Amino acid sequence: MTIELHPLAQFTVERILPLRVGQIDVSFTNAALMMAIIVCLITALIVFGTRRASLVPGRLQSVAEISYEFVADMVESNVGPEGLPYFPFVFSLFMFILFSNLLGLIPYSFTVTGQIIVTFALALTVFIGVTIIGFIKHGLHFLRFFVPEGVPIVLLVILVPIEVLSYFIRPFTLSIRLFANMLAGHTMLGIFAGFAAIIGIFAIFPIAIDVVLLALELLVATLQAYVFAILSCLYLNDAIHMH
Amino acid sequence: MSEKPPSGPLARLGEEFDKAQAERRPARKTGGNPGMQQGLALGLRIGVELVTAVVVSVGVGWAIDRWLGTRPWVMLVMFFLGIAAGMLNVYRAVTGAGGAVGYHQRASKDASAPPAKRNWDDEDC
Repeated sequence: MTIELHPLAQFTVERILPLRVGQIDVSFTNAALMMAIIVCLITALIVFGTRRASLVPGRLQSVAEISYEFVADMVESNVGPEGLPYFPFVFSLFMFILFSNLLGLIPYSFTVTGQIIVTFALALTVFIGVTIIGFIKHGLHFLRFFVPEGVPIVLLVILVPIEVLSYFIRPFTLSIRLFANMLAGHTMLGIFAGFAAIIGIFAIFPIAIDVVLLALELLVATLQAYVFAILSCLYLNDAIHMH
Repeated sequence: MSEKPPSGPLARLGEEFDKAQAERRPARKTGGNPGMQQGLALGLRIGVELVTAVVVSVGVGWAIDRWLGTRPWVMLVMFFLGIAAGMLNVYRAVTGAGGAVGYHQRASKDASAPPAKRNWDDEDC
């Protein structure tokens, strides 16, 4: 019972289907299950939302169209028309994070983005992809990124390491921001829910706080998905349009 | 809805959509509606930016120290570099240079770039 009440218990990854390939543990966990559900839901939304496309959209079609237009707009206004080839990636990224943030808010579900390894993998994918795009578009000229223009040589000794460092920190900030927001929010919800379970009749107060917090968490969930996607767009913009 | 031209209501609706979109597009380019949204997004970015830069660079410095056996030195240097990098990222995020690394991105493209960026160039030299 005490384990149940622990506010961090909701983040434990458990094996549902223990599996082992050689030395590597590839068990099907609750995190994997949640991710599979998320991917299925997104696919279902887009497939069923666009199947019977009518001029006056129904509810499902509206949601699909709004999310499409939102991301398309974000890519176009931040990267420009050259960014549109990368739209599918940004869209998948945005939808995946949005869905895992929102579905994680449902009681007894699991927050995939509350795991640092998941967010870090996403951020690293963006980082490596953007770097490769930069090198493909500009060749070795891309390295001039780290050399500020019109700066004396003496200062370059200090500035170049700073620039390199601030570039390599990107995947960390990107992943920690999302992870920390999710972790903090859900822990807070868990703590108040834990109070509610102990104090009997007065449980109404922590529950009321949880209701308010849940509204805040809804905002954070969507906003963090937006931030992640828009930062990916900005990084992409850097790689494509360096001058 | 009031009148129906010979081209049929659907074609007319399409034309109206095109017109409305054409009107809306330039307004959005200049940064129209999403003030609140962008402000919130920016605010949430800043805090993490500074902390992570320091933590990550100190961590990397510590690892290099352990690897090379040069106990405190690399970590110390990386600490200050990390602060500088964090500050730089925050400064860029706030002045609207995006997540950009490198100074020369938009400043050279259009002359009407925000003055903040040119001030930065001046200070720098």
